[in-house]
Amino acid sequence: MAQDNLTAVLHKPLDLRLEQTEIPQINDDEVLLRMDCVGICGSDVHYWQHGSCGHFVLKKPMIMGHEASGVVAKIGSKVRNLQVGDRVAIEPGVPCRYCEFCKSGRYHLCPDILFCATPPVHGNLARYYKHAADFCYKLPDHVTMEEGALLEPLSVGIHACKRGGVGAGDVVLVLGAGPIGLVTMLAAKAMGASKILITDILESRLETAKKLGAHHTIHVTKDANEADLVKLVHEKLGGHPDVSIDASGVQSTVRLALLATKSGGVAVLVGMGNPELTLPLAGAMAREVDIRGIFRYVNMLVWINEMNLVSKIIYLD
Amino acid sequence: MAENCAVVLHGPNDLRIEKLPIPTINNNEVLIKVSCVGICGSDLKIYSTGRCGQESVTEPLIIGHEGSGTVIEVGSAVKNFRVGDRVAIEPTQPCRSCEFCRGGRYNLCENPHYCATTGVSGNLCTYYKHVEDFCHKIPNNVSMEEGAAVQPLAIAIHACNRAGIKLGMNLVILGAGPIGVLCAMTAKAMGAANILITDIVESRLKTAVKLGVDYTLLIKKEYTDQQVADKILELLGTAPNITIDACGFASAQRVSMMITRTGGTILVVGIGAETVEIPLSRALLREVNIIGAYRLLNSYPAALSAVSSGAIDLKSFITHHFTMKDTKSAFELAKTGEAMKIIIHVSD
Repeated sequence: MAQDNLTAVLHKPLDLRLEQTEIPQINDDEVLLRMDCVGICGSDVHYWQHGSCGHFVLKKPMIMGHEASGVVAKIGSKVRNLQVGDRVAIEPGVPCRYCEFCKSGRYHLCPDILFCATPPVHGNLARYYKHAADFCYKLPDHVTMEEGALLEPLSVGIHACKRGGVGAGDVVLVLGAGPIGLVTMLAAKAMGASKILITDILESRLETAKKLGAHHTIHVTKDANEADLVKLVHEKLGGHPDVSIDASGVQSTVRLALLATKSGGVAVLVGMGNPELTLPLAGAMAREVDIRGIFRYVNMLVWINEMNLVSKIIYLD
Repeated sequence: MAENCAVVLHGPNDLRIEKLPIPTINNNEVLIKVSCVGICGSDLKIYSTGRCGQESVTEPLIIGHEGSGTVIEVGSAVKNFRVGDRVAIEPTQPCRSCEFCRGGRYNLCENPHYCATTGVSGNLCTYYKHVEDFCHKIPNNVSMEEGAAVQPLAIAIHACNRAGIKLGMNLVILGAGPIGVLCAMTAKAMGAANILITDIVESRLKTAVKLGVDYTLLIKKEYTDQQVADKILELLGTAPNITIDACGFASAQRVSMMITRTGGTILVVGIGAETVEIPLSRALLREVNIIGAYRLLNSYPAALSAVSSGAIDLKSFITHHFTMKDTKSAFELAKTGEAMKIIIHVSD
């Protein structure tokens, strides 16, 4: 094995350096991975530009990268699920396994979770990286390493749809056609949504969305009137959406989710924007529209081994 | 039969007692001689301002939606009631055919024919007719006044059902008005371990303690949201699994997003202003769900059963009594906030 472990380290905002770091020593339940592909997401950019993202603040140099795939180079003595040479997707958050959240199936809410490239935990944008073996998933032969890396943001989309209870026949509104809006749309389709309307302020994003299977799109202009937008959504969908998923975080789309969703439905708010929002909450509460946020995802990537939902979504590409 | 007198709201603060025809029943309806009708916060809002939440009243309306009485006539197709039966009146007659009715959520029906809303008369009158299946037999050991007061209890039960209260959970209830207190009593009956209730009025907290809450916090005007949150967490000793907003104030909604345990639930049953400014991400990023509860849903049977078994004590909850002709005084008392539950006695 080469000794070269070129690593991308963020020292402070706008100060990203390629450095050599030590090749990690694995524990008996871990694997050493020869990294292959690492995606970049909005949160990475935020750390790079601002040195923080939400509550998390960069205080010392941190290795970037959390959307990744690699090849198993070494396995610990207790590892049973993987062999050297296996191509894997890496679930970047390893929880404590002991707390009440871990024990009730919501390990993503574990207060002590170690999540790649969320300070102070190092990420995996390096030549070599070690990880808990049970949070690495063998990729089916037909799934590429790039697709393997993209399973991480895809998981966010699937979790959002699960939190919304998206099921067969549902009508879904997705607000925002950025990467998260798109993976949410792909997940909704694979989960059986019958009609998906996606909105954005950029026409080009909507073109991509259409290619990826959006049934309807709305290009929202700067001066759009809120009530008219709600009406337009209902007209295009031929009714009210059962689930609305906001993937933008701006106040206007969050408001739209609360106003447009069918009574008794769910508004999933994924996008992160201003901490303070002015919202028509009372109306949503009186119509029993549930408001559910998401934090990352949970119990998603383990599906890969069964070649089901994720494989389906990849073929939709 | 005597004449039918009804309390009719003509405009803000303008209540008149009027004579109206006795209703004629259809074959699936019963005619009820009304005994008791409770009045509530939403009645008060409509009385004072003509509006409450999403509702507004634009023409004269018989008020009253917390009614109980005796069946004096049954339609030809009525199976479950006989003349003489004492009934609690669930104040709705939804359409039964829309997707909400068929999906088991008739409280969301777009044509619910809810008592004392525009075009739908309430039951603060001597004679009132209603469909059979939205009348509920009052158990023998439950009084007519309790039979009327089960309506807000049924609202609290629906709210607690929506909140997902389970044995051993810890709760914070913001607002110790009738709904907050009924939610506390319901939550206890459902097995909640520790309940902390807040209010801005000290006397309400004293009543709440008598009715079973474990901790109370008086909210002073000068407290910031953070101070309220800190005091709640300190007093309760832990973050609540569920926080119930039973007052509709933005400050309560804000605090609920700060104190509720990660993965928990905020239940909004209080009727708030149309728009609020809230730190939503504090709830969203911890997957704290924000759930609304609207009116009631299939909760009358549980309410009557809980009162009958003693699991919930409504006798202490009812605090004031008026006759029908003194309805206006009843509303004036309601305005002071001193009454927990006022019952209007129509006939006894």
